[in-house]
Amino acid sequence: MTHFLIRRIFWAIFLFLVATIITYLIFFVIPADPAALAAGKAPTPQDVARVRHLMHLDLPIYQQYWLFLWNLIRHGSLGHSFVNRQSVRYLVGEDAPVTASLVFGGAVFWLSLSIPVGILSALRPRSLLDRIAMLFVLVGISAHPVWIGLILSYVFGYKLGITPIAGYCNFFPGTPGAQCSGPIQWAYHLILPWITFMVLFAALYVRLIRANVMETMSEDYVRTARAKGAGERRVMVQHVLRNSMLPVVTILGMDIGLALGGAIFTETVFNLPGLGNNLVSAANADDLPLVVGIVVFATLAVIVFNFLVDVAYAFLDPRIRLS
Amino acid sequence: MRRKHMLSLFMLVMGVALLVAATTVAVATSATSHTATAAKASAKRGGVLRVNQSGTDFDTVDPGLAYVTNDWALLYTTQVLLVNYPEKNGQAGGQLYPEGATSFPIVSNNGKTYTFHIRPGLKFSDGTPVTAAAWQRAWERNLSPKMGSPMGVNDQFQKVIVGAEAFNNGKASRISGISAHGLTLVFHLTKPNPTFTSYLAMQWFGAVKPNMPYTTQGLNVYPSAGPYYIASREPNRTTVLKRNPYYHGSRPANPDQIVITSNTDVNQSLLQVKAGQADLDMGGVPSTAAASLGQQYGVNKGRFHVGSTSCVDYLLLNTVRAPTNNVAVRKALNWGIDRPALLRILGKYAGQRSDQILVPGVPGYRPYKIYAWSGANVAKAKAVGGSALKSAGTFNVLHTPTPARTAQAQVVEYNLQKLGLKYNDVPTPGTTYYNTLETKGTSYNIARAGWCADYFDPFDYINVLLDGRSIQQTNNVDMAYLNSPALNKQMDQAAALSGRARANAYAKLDLEVMQKYAPWVPFMIDNTRYLTSSRVSNWVYSTYFGEPDLNALAVG
Repeated sequence: MTHFLIRRIFWAIFLFLVATIITYLIFFVIPADPAALAAGKAPTPQDVARVRHLMHLDLPIYQQYWLFLWNLIRHGSLGHSFVNRQSVRYLVGEDAPVTASLVFGGAVFWLSLSIPVGILSALRPRSLLDRIAMLFVLVGISAHPVWIGLILSYVFGYKLGITPIAGYCNFFPGTPGAQCSGPIQWAYHLILPWITFMVLFAALYVRLIRANVMETMSEDYVRTARAKGAGERRVMVQHVLRNSMLPVVTILGMDIGLALGGAIFTETVFNLPGLGNNLVSAANADDLPLVVGIVVFATLAVIVFNFLVDVAYAFLDPRIRLS
Repeated sequence: MRRKHMLSLFMLVMGVALLVAATTVAVATSATSHTATAAKASAKRGGVLRVNQSGTDFDTVDPGLAYVTNDWALLYTTQVLLVNYPEKNGQAGGQLYPEGATSFPIVSNNGKTYTFHIRPGLKFSDGTPVTAAAWQRAWERNLSPKMGSPMGVNDQFQKVIVGAEAFNNGKASRISGISAHGLTLVFHLTKPNPTFTSYLAMQWFGAVKPNMPYTTQGLNVYPSAGPYYIASREPNRTTVLKRNPYYHGSRPANPDQIVITSNTDVNQSLLQVKAGQADLDMGGVPSTAAASLGQQYGVNKGRFHVGSTSCVDYLLLNTVRAPTNNVAVRKALNWGIDRPALLRILGKYAGQRSDQILVPGVPGYRPYKIYAWSGANVAKAKAVGGSALKSAGTFNVLHTPTPARTAQAQVVEYNLQKLGLKYNDVPTPGTTYYNTLETKGTSYNIARAGWCADYFDPFDYINVLLDGRSIQQTNNVDMAYLNSPALNKQMDQAAALSGRARANAYAKLDLEVMQKYAPWVPFMIDNTRYLTSSRVSNWVYSTYFGEPDLNALAVG
């Protein structure tokens, strides 16, 4: 197990380096000059050079990257935004809870829907319920989250007026000047984003769970359990569900990790000030430090969740760690 | 039986989920409706003005660093300037008045010393009295190397005041040409500069506390002396302004609070404003919605507001690259380009047609129509262009790949075709578009650009944009690369004048530049289009910022 963990940690570090290097390179391939953009409307070459030096953009790329890594490891600093000059760590720290609220809340919604529907569909294939579920899967996978979000927002927020059209409230009360805060307003503002976020993932998970359950139900050990006289509930819970849910756990870990990097579409439609929304703004403004900061956070989230899944999986299934 | 159990389980889970959702909605709706009722009951002075800012945030709210229009519109509500623009609609809103000063400056006979007497009784939001040192500090913060603010330096302000250059280079600890004693502030200029008073209306030069620190990151929250102060700010999210309890000046401060939510989506924001969940979007309305909003609410009849700005849109013509280096060709293009078609692409009420450099409200603006006004005039264009047009080579039409800019480029290319001319369509990413135009030797012939006033003075349009002596290797503002010694001399002469003579000189220049040199095809003076919620009244709009005066709006 120790050997397995060490291997995984090294793999995680390697992934982190690759992701950040690629992000750095992408931005340096784009021929925009952040120093010129930040230097005002008609800067002289000397002005631009001064700003470039201030931003450390006069260093070779590898030195800039090294400086970035050093500041991250030594000081926990992700640098400062080119656009608003704020600390990127502060900005990411402000955005991350919003995205986490959306992702974890959405995950609760999509699991609450997809697990029972997936199981029922598997238990009664080609039944009316199964066909309705598969229709939902088709719609959920085909419809873009932006479209779903806009429709929900228009119908429930604008036409019926029972939810906010867009916006976000902090979970914890007491934000100075905030128009709303507290758990109830927080949930109220997130209901439509959660449902939007849920639709795509629920569709995918219904299909995944249905297929897994159907496959597991045809396994020898399930037949054996029934032959030995085990009750249907025991067969389902102890043998079928336990085994068919293992891949779901794996995918869930990866999906949550990935989504924490920024649920761009949902955040944009509902004006949620999360990582995805600000990633779009930062990319549009050539704000390299903020883009890299968000990429670093997303990479860490993916790595951490993958790592946790790997460890959990290895713990649950000995074949993984032995291989 | 098994099926029944599973179905029951499913129904139970869904039932609980729906119950939780319904309860949350009910409780939250109830809370919101209480808020709405309370707001309705409030008077015109009071309440919370909820403003969205779609697609962007303030770059910074530190007056020593801020430059973008939205930054300045916010600072307008929080700062006291020596001279300022009043909260008045129309051209009256573009007339300077002494705000922090008791009167306009007393200018010495040689035009090099400006003395201001500061209005007594002004206070910052923390109760500290405002003295002349507040403006001295503003200049120092703008030009200090410790701030890393390039803004004042770009406008060459370090060359305007005695000792500012040494201060900017770090060779002096104070700007020797600014002296502040109590309520008396004196500027010593390096040479007479009639534009100087206009400079002071820029938000860089608002009163700041004399101990406001130098910082390259900029401050988010600090005491200010205007009608409001910044109570809190979360970058990329929310900025909250509260009424300055110590402000007793004449400027309005109607809402108790102004809450600005940034980076919203413009389409969702429109729905929010329509539904009363927000009061206004500083980003305006989606261009595609303008026509229907005009029909639904009427224009400038209470909720849908269309206002002119200080921004002029134009097609740059590269005066040093063939075929646009020929003035006959440039004049022909001014006849041959379809201005109304360029406007229509931007949606209804996007702007007003124009073929001149200055905009309404700027001293020296005299409306004229000397080129094609109601569509392309191909016959006239061919007549004006003559043999130069017939022998013209290929035109490089540069544009960003956004839908609107691409469509505008297509209009230009269609017009070139009608004139029998060849063109290259050169889509260029937005990140490099201006870098390309601003680099000397650039290969474009026709490219769209725009300009909004830093200060409401013709100098900021004509001298800043067309003085060929400013051309450098990169980062040029004279992107037409027009450099006429005769014109440069005329610009200098106009800049040295003041009052009516100055306005007349610039009016003449505005006309003459387009008649004689035609470095641009101006086609539009931008409008802004805003929708306000039903609870907003007292609409006051600043042509200078192209934004409503937030402090003047009333809610409830």
